[in-house]
Amino acid sequence: MSALSLEHVTKRFDRTLAVDDLSFSVPEGQVFGFLGGNGAGKTTTLRMALDIIRPTDGRLTVLGRAPGRENAPDIGFLPEERGLYRQMTALDTIVYFGRLKGMTPHDARTEGLALLDRFGLGDSARSTIDKLSKGMAQKVQLATAVVNRPRLLILDEPFSGLDPVNQRLLEDEIRRASKAGATVIFSTHVMQHAERLCEKLLLLAKGRRKFEGTLDEARAQLPARLSVVARQSLAPVDGVESCEPVGTTADGWQEWDVRLKPGGNPSDLLQACTERAIPLRRFDERRASLHDVFLQLVGPAEARP
Amino acid sequence: MKNILIVAAREFRQIASMRSFWLTLLILPVALSLGPIAQRFLRDDRADRVIVIDRTGGAEARSIEQRFAADRDRDLLQKLSRYVQRHKYESADPAAPWARHDRWYDEADIARFRASGGLDAALARIDRVKPADAPTFKPPTADYEIVPAPPALAAMPDDRLDAAVKGYLKPADGKTKPVDYILLVPRDFGSSPLVKLWARSEANGTFIAAVQDVLTRDLRSRFLESQGVSPAAAQTASGIAPALAISTPPPGGGAREAMLVRSILPLAATYLLMMSLILSGSWMLQGTVEERSNKLLETVLACISPEELMYGKLLGTIAVGLSMILAWVACGVAAGYATHGVIADLIRPALDPLTSPGTIFALIYFFLAGYVTISVLFLAIGGMSDSMREAQGYLMPVLLAILMPITLLLQAILAGKGGILVEVLTWVPLWTPFAVLARLGIGIPTWEVVGSGLVLAVFAAISLVLVGRLFRASLLAQGQRPSLREVAARMRAGGREVK
Repeated sequence: MSALSLEHVTKRFDRTLAVDDLSFSVPEGQVFGFLGGNGAGKTTTLRMALDIIRPTDGRLTVLGRAPGRENAPDIGFLPEERGLYRQMTALDTIVYFGRLKGMTPHDARTEGLALLDRFGLGDSARSTIDKLSKGMAQKVQLATAVVNRPRLLILDEPFSGLDPVNQRLLEDEIRRASKAGATVIFSTHVMQHAERLCEKLLLLAKGRRKFEGTLDEARAQLPARLSVVARQSLAPVDGVESCEPVGTTADGWQEWDVRLKPGGNPSDLLQACTERAIPLRRFDERRASLHDVFLQLVGPAEARP
Repeated sequence: MKNILIVAAREFRQIASMRSFWLTLLILPVALSLGPIAQRFLRDDRADRVIVIDRTGGAEARSIEQRFAADRDRDLLQKLSRYVQRHKYESADPAAPWARHDRWYDEADIARFRASGGLDAALARIDRVKPADAPTFKPPTADYEIVPAPPALAAMPDDRLDAAVKGYLKPADGKTKPVDYILLVPRDFGSSPLVKLWARSEANGTFIAAVQDVLTRDLRSRFLESQGVSPAAAQTASGIAPALAISTPPPGGGAREAMLVRSILPLAATYLLMMSLILSGSWMLQGTVEERSNKLLETVLACISPEELMYGKLLGTIAVGLSMILAWVACGVAAGYATHGVIADLIRPALDPLTSPGTIFALIYFFLAGYVTISVLFLAIGGMSDSMREAQGYLMPVLLAILMPITLLLQAILAGKGGILVEVLTWVPLWTPFAVLARLGIGIPTWEVVGSGLVLAVFAAISLVLVGRLFRASLLAQGQRPSLREVAARMRAGGREVK
C-alpha cells in the first residue's frame, strides 16, 4: 500500500497554478524527498495530503484513505512556518497536540515526557514556551509532530531555521522513525539533507514533476565526468563527449576534464583506453552531486531559494 | 465533538492564565464594593451648625430651636415607621405613631412619641418582636444643630456684625469648628419683618423654609394680636395646619420603584452580557491573532478541521464569559448575605420575574444566543487579522456599532420609556439580545420575544455558516488586509482558498 499517492492532481489558486497534473506514489516505509525551489508546489502538495486545502482536480490517497482529519492519529506533521502557544508549557503543548491526534491524556503525557527527556528538555517540561530558547522551542515543535508515533511523518522544509545541533537531532529522528517502519516525506531545497536521508526523490518545478527516482538514478541524469591524467587527449575514444586540458603539462603528462556522452560508463572508457594502450596516471570518476542534477533539471532560476 | 472540547479547554485555560483575566474578574466586585464605601466617606453626615442672635429677648431663637427639634423627630419617626413597615414590627406597639404609616406626623404625634420615651423606648419595644439576626434601625443624623451665640458676637452691635461673622463662618486657624449659618433677629422684628442671615455657603432650601415658617407664624400672630385677637387665639390661628393622611406603598412597592426593581435582574443580565462579551471576545481575538502571527495554524489544522477550531474557540469563549458572570453573581450573593438587610430586600422583588418559566427561558436563551452571535464577529476579525494592530482596525467600529445603541437603550429602559429606538433595537439581531433582556423587566409582548428570538436564531445560524467560511478561507491567508469585496468572496459558498 502507498503511504501517499497522487493521481493527476491539480491545484489552482485564483489565477495561480500551484500544482499541475502531478502524479506520484510513496511506498510505505520509505524516506521520500520532495525537492524544488520556492513556488515549486511542495507545500501546496503536502497541505493537500493533510486536507488543509483541497485539490482543484485529481485524486489523493493517504495511507489508503482519502485525505481527512480521521488520518490525524497516523500522521505527524512539521510545517515550514513554525510556532507554538507562548503561554503553554512544553509538556502541555505536546499533550495538546497528542490529544488532537486522538491520544489519551495519559498516553500523550507519558510519550511527551519521554520525548522531552530524549531531546534533553526533561527539566524544561513545565516551562512555558516563551521562557525557552529558540532551539529548545524547535525541539518541542518536533516533539508535537512525533508524539503519536506516526505511520506517516510529513516534514515541510524541516531543516530551515534549525541550528546544527537540531539539524542533527532531526536527522536522527527521521532515521529513527524510518527504522520503526514509518514513511517519511519531507520537502527541502537543501540537497545535502536529501542526499543523506532520502531513498527516493521527486523534483518539482512550477508545480510539475521533473524527476522521480533514486539518488543514483538522479545522478545518471547528468553525463559522467572524469579527471584523467594522460599524455594524449581522450577525445577520439568512443563514448567521450569532450576532453578539455586542465592546467599545464609536466613531463609530458596532462590533466584532462573528460565528459562522457549521456549514458556513458566510466568503466567502458577505462577498458577502451587499455585496449588502445593509452597510458594513464590517474583515472578519477567525479560523481555528480544532487545539486548539479537539480540545477540541470530545473534550471538555476528555479533552484534559487 | 471531542476535538471541539479539547480546543475549548485549551482556550479556556489560556485565557484563565492571563493576568488581565483575573484583574478584570476582580475589578467589578471591587468597584461595586468600593462604591458604597466611598459614598459613606463622601457623604456629609455632620449637622449644620447654626447661631441665632436674637435681639428680641430669645423667644424667636427658642421657636427656631424647637422647630428644628420637631423636624428632626418627625424625620426620625418617618424613618422608624418605614423600618417597622418593611419588617412588619407593628405588633410591637400598634398604637404607637411609628406603627401607623397613614399620616404625615404632626406636632401631636411628635409629642406622643417624645412622651412615650422617644427612640430608645420605641426600639426597646421593637426588640421584643424583632428576630435576633434582623437588621437594626439606624437613626438619621440631625440636619441642624443650634450653637449658643458666643458672648462677643451676641454683644456686638448689629452694624459691626458683617465684618465679625466671617471669623465664625470661615475660621482662620483651621482648628475651630466653622459655623454654617448665623441668623440675626433684630430688636425691631415684628414691627419690621427684616431678619438677616449669613451663610457659609449656598443656603439650604429646607433651612430657609423652616426659619421662614417659624418667623412667619410669629409675624402673623403679632398681626392678629394687633387686630384685636387674643394672644392665645392668635397663637392658635398661626399654628393651624391640615392633618395630612397619606397612603404610600410599602418600601419597594411603588409603581416606578417596582418597575426599576423588577428590571434589576434583566438590566444586570444586559450589562453582564455586554461586559463579559467584550472582554472574553477580545481575549479570544487575541488568541486567534496569536495563532496566526505565531504560525501555529498549519500545525493545528493538520489535526482538526477549521470548523472544529472555530467551534472550540467559541465554546471556550462562552465558558470564559459564563465563568466571569458566575463569579460576579457569586460575589453579588455574598454581598447580599453580608449586608442581609437592604440588598436582600431589594433582591427579593428583583427575583419576581423569575417566577415565570417563560421569562427564565427567555433570559437564558437571549443571553446564550447573544453570546454566540457577537462572539462570532470577534472570531471573524481574529481570523482575518495578522496582528493585534490590524485587529484593532476592525474591532473599534464593531464595538462602537454594538455599544452606542445599547447605551441609549439602557438609558431609555431606566427612564421607563419605550419608543421607536427600543423597538428597532429589539428587531436588529446585533442588538436583539440586549434589547430583549433589558425589556424583560418592564414588560415586552410575548409575540415580540418569540419573533425576535426566531430572527436572532436565524441570524446566528447564518453568521455561523458565513463566518465559518470566512474563517476557513482566511486562516492560512497572509498579506494585505482583505477588502470588503474579498471578505464577501470568502463568505460565498465554499470560500475561495488563499495561498
